[in-house]
Amino acid sequence: MKEVTAIIRMNMINKTKNALLKEGFSSLTCRKVLGRGKKKVDFSVIDEAISEGTIFSNTAIEEISEIHRLVVKRLVTVLVKDEDVQKVVNTIIDANRTNSPGDGKIFVTNVTDVVRVRTAEIGTAAL
Amino acid sequence: MLMIKSIIRPEKVGIVLSELCDAGFPAVTKYDVVGRGKQRGVKVGDVHYDEISKEMLMLVVKDEDKDDVISIIMRNAKTGEKGAFGDGKIFVTSVEEAYTISSGSSEL
Repeated sequence: MKEVTAIIRMNMINKTKNALLKEGFSSLTCRKVLGRGKKKVDFSVIDEAISEGTIFSNTAIEEISEIHRLVVKRLVTVLVKDEDVQKVVNTIIDANRTNSPGDGKIFVTNVTDVVRVRTAEIGTAAL
Repeated sequence: MLMIKSIIRPEKVGIVLSELCDAGFPAVTKYDVVGRGKQRGVKVGDVHYDEISKEMLMLVVKDEDKDDVISIIMRNAKTGEKGAFGDGKIFVTSVEEAYTISSGSSEL
């Protein structure tokens, strides 16, 4: 069994949920997290606004340029059988891809065992 | 690749994050957790607290960067010279695959 952990944009959660459901993966766990990635905030996006000097006050620019600024993201965890990993990964990529930095990351880790609490089933039967 | 999950004191998050960034590890995910450790929480007078709030920092790094990251967290999340109970724990698990959604590439 594998655990697929995806960090995605906040507003993409419904799209991701529906896409996964369509592929037959109904169970997932979500939580709200804060994070940052490899890239700093892209100034080219707001260059125009800065040069016009209209929207952004100096403090706003200062705040936005902070390297350590953490962005709110959604962390989705899905547990799947080994053979389904690629399908889930592709589904999440397709649903979340906008081709711009900040779309998120997906990590695949190994899960040694799963137990269903209700029936004490162990292994793939518990998934 | 390795996933490094560290549970640290909320007041140490700022320094740890900025030191990680300076050392070239800008990518981090953080969330609030509550928990207790081996000391079974803290006892203040007659009241026993066993849900102490901590912050979980999650990083995925290349195998060779593991020792760097761990030593940075160790150094900066410690209270005082010797450290104290409640400074936290670091767990390392292996990550088999990592994908970047924006490019669809299968790398960190």
